[in-house]
Amino acid sequence: MEDKNYYTVDPEGRLKCMKCGVPLIKGKAKFMYLDNGFPVELPVCPVCGFVYVPEELALGKVASVERALEDK
Amino acid sequence: MKIEERNSTHVYKQLRMFTKEELEAVESLCVHEQPPYCNAACPLKLDTKGLINAAAQGDFIKALQLYEKITPFPHILSAGCEAPCMSQCKLCSLGDGIRIREIERSAVKLREKPKGKGLLRFKKKKTAAIFGSGLFCAFLAGELWGKAYPVTVFCEEQDEKAFLSKGAEFMDEEGLSADTEALKAMDIDFRFGTELRAENIKKLREGFDMVCASKQCAQTAYPNCRSDEKLMYDRENDLVWGETEGVLAAAFGAKKAALTVDRLAQNLDPAKSRGQEGAVETELYTDTKGADKLTAVAVPEGGYTREQAMQEAGRCIQCRCEECIKGCAYLQHYKIYPKALTREIYNNVSIIMGDHMMNKPINACSLCGQCSVTCPNGYDMASVCKIARRNMVQTDKMPLAPHEFALLDMGFSNEEGFLSRPQPDFKQCKYVFFPGCQATAIAPETVRAAYEDLCRRLEGGVGLMLGCCGAICDWAGREEMYEGVKEFIDRELGKLGDPVIIAGCPTCKVRLSENENREVRGIWDVLLEIGLPEGAQALPRPAAMHDSCGARGDEQTQKAVRKIAEMLGCQLVETEYSGDRSPCCGYGGLTAYANSEVAKEMTDFCLSRSDAPYISYCMACRDRFARAGRQSRHILELVYGTDAGSPPDISEKRYNRLSLKNSMLRELWGEEVQELKLDFKLEFTPEAREMMDSRMILTEDVQQVMEQVAETGEAVLDEESGLLTGRARIGNVTFWVKFTEIQGGYLVRRAYSHRMNIVKRA
Repeated sequence: MEDKNYYTVDPEGRLKCMKCGVPLIKGKAKFMYLDNGFPVELPVCPVCGFVYVPEELALGKVASVERALEDK
Repeated sequence: MKIEERNSTHVYKQLRMFTKEELEAVESLCVHEQPPYCNAACPLKLDTKGLINAAAQGDFIKALQLYEKITPFPHILSAGCEAPCMSQCKLCSLGDGIRIREIERSAVKLREKPKGKGLLRFKKKKTAAIFGSGLFCAFLAGELWGKAYPVTVFCEEQDEKAFLSKGAEFMDEEGLSADTEALKAMDIDFRFGTELRAENIKKLREGFDMVCASKQCAQTAYPNCRSDEKLMYDRENDLVWGETEGVLAAAFGAKKAALTVDRLAQNLDPAKSRGQEGAVETELYTDTKGADKLTAVAVPEGGYTREQAMQEAGRCIQCRCEECIKGCAYLQHYKIYPKALTREIYNNVSIIMGDHMMNKPINACSLCGQCSVTCPNGYDMASVCKIARRNMVQTDKMPLAPHEFALLDMGFSNEEGFLSRPQPDFKQCKYVFFPGCQATAIAPETVRAAYEDLCRRLEGGVGLMLGCCGAICDWAGREEMYEGVKEFIDRELGKLGDPVIIAGCPTCKVRLSENENREVRGIWDVLLEIGLPEGAQALPRPAAMHDSCGARGDEQTQKAVRKIAEMLGCQLVETEYSGDRSPCCGYGGLTAYANSEVAKEMTDFCLSRSDAPYISYCMACRDRFARAGRQSRHILELVYGTDAGSPPDISEKRYNRLSLKNSMLRELWGEEVQELKLDFKLEFTPEAREMMDSRMILTEDVQQVMEQVAETGEAVLDEESGLLTGRARIGNVTFWVKFTEIQGGYLVRRAYSHRMNIVKRA
């Protein structure tokens, strides 16, 4: 069965890992908060595994899910 | 300092906030739900206030609808009602009470009805009989029809009009005809011309489930019968009847009788579950200040016209108690009064699983205690919210996000920023100056000037303690942490020889006074004793005095500060909400951190009291007013001729504390201070600075991210914008910094953060 993804951000070749010198690719990641996990697909460095969270995502969806969980 | 985040949303702990009795005792103090005086006096429970309000708006359809709710025959009732409401009108004590009955009569006479048909009514199965006539029987027939019982009326009269006019001889033709029409429309089975002799009544009552009668018929059929006045019921003869005198009593008697019939129809004891009947005592409080229309509109012959009724109704002050709401931006924001809010908070705390919708309001109260003064009964919303916060912390349901920044800031004040020293050349001191964490953050120069002045002019040595009194964690509901801070401060005071504390902040004064063995004085009291130093200056124009919520109930402090302002030559403007009634600036209770929107409304409310510059004696108030663009000075700035200038951002506040501590250590105590230096240059664009302040990101946080970037080389380049992005997880938060490289370092352009932790998965 295919994994459920709550959110997907495709780097579309725009982002580059400065440490490894390679473009970030769409990869599997997971947000964890207050013992809850949310599988997502985000730009990830295929070499070192650095996961990039864009500003719009952090201030948008991530912030609203945080607030919802805080009131659970 | 590290603060643990709550473990999980799946921990289902519960702790009762109040017992049922405690909750009721708290709630009973709020009189907002109490009926207005006119309504309380009406045994029929007319929504008098609503009716008058509708009339004042010219909505006579609604006014009549409200009136018809209490009576099937509005013409008879309004013409004959003794109107006990009128003498209870609050305006009676100031001038003419509202002519309520005249307004009711106008609404009835105007007969403005809504368009459309009524609802389809289904008749109940049990049947009722009424023997006799008179107002009681007429009203009862209408009431029972209203309750959908099939009603049969046995009377001697020959038609509806004659039936209705019995006892209503005062009625004019027009009104009587109108109510007769209403009666005819009621689908009541009339047996006109019935001979109401004893044996006839006894025979005719057979087959009916419930039997009612006029006093005359009851006594004819059962000569020694007795009726219970409360129930209008004669158990012995299973007969619903009672004695009434006057129109209102007949209408009220009919209501009680109809309820008895209702209970009997369901085979229930008519004496039980009747609710509150009749007129009641009310505990409502209403402020009549501002009531200015004290003369009633004269009633012409034939009653008020539509316009006159509207004008008279327009005088009504719509009695209600909103004393707490009027002065509190928090209650105004949530549009709620304390009793309802307390119940919602109590329910919120009782929820084991699911959404806790009241977390935000619980954390948005400034805990300032203003309501305990403005409420005529002293309702203390602050203590309710504080108990709720503590409960949430104990049951691991308190999110850390609303308070973490403030708690870490307190940690900074009592760790890196903390300083405790006896006066140079003293081992122990008679006094210690405790300016408070906000003064050191906002006005470090003033703190230094005050300390040096106290050292110069007081004998016995004055120590200095720069730190936080613990108010922050107490406000956050973290009792254990608060105990820890108190113990820490105690230990430090012990090292100084347990000196008399000279507090620079009213909130610190309250906190530090919790230990009964300590003597705590406000610096304002000390200054009054030793006089003002040279260089003190007044504000050139009249200024409004804002009392700190920490000084609520502390008249001595309020007076002392005013006295100092007077000595300085300040011309003070007093505002409506001052002294013990002063509202919070938005900092108290951590509102500024937990809910910036409500905090801003609190600040705006404070500033709406006067257009003048503000003088305060709490540095947090000074800061919030200045941030809102108002000229704002702390009394100590005036005393010491200093000016803290424009308000610092969150990073500058920390910098100010640290550099005050370090400079004083170097210059007063001659101690070497190591200041940390970065290995690289770090610059910020103005946009980045503004963004960091509004997003609660400190320079220190950004520095840590950049240190990590420098050390690991981990960064992402956005090839479109050319910006690099680095990140670091610090405590419970991940910080991201967007930057470009410059000669020898970095230029920070943006910063953002989130609390969720991100991990790679396979």
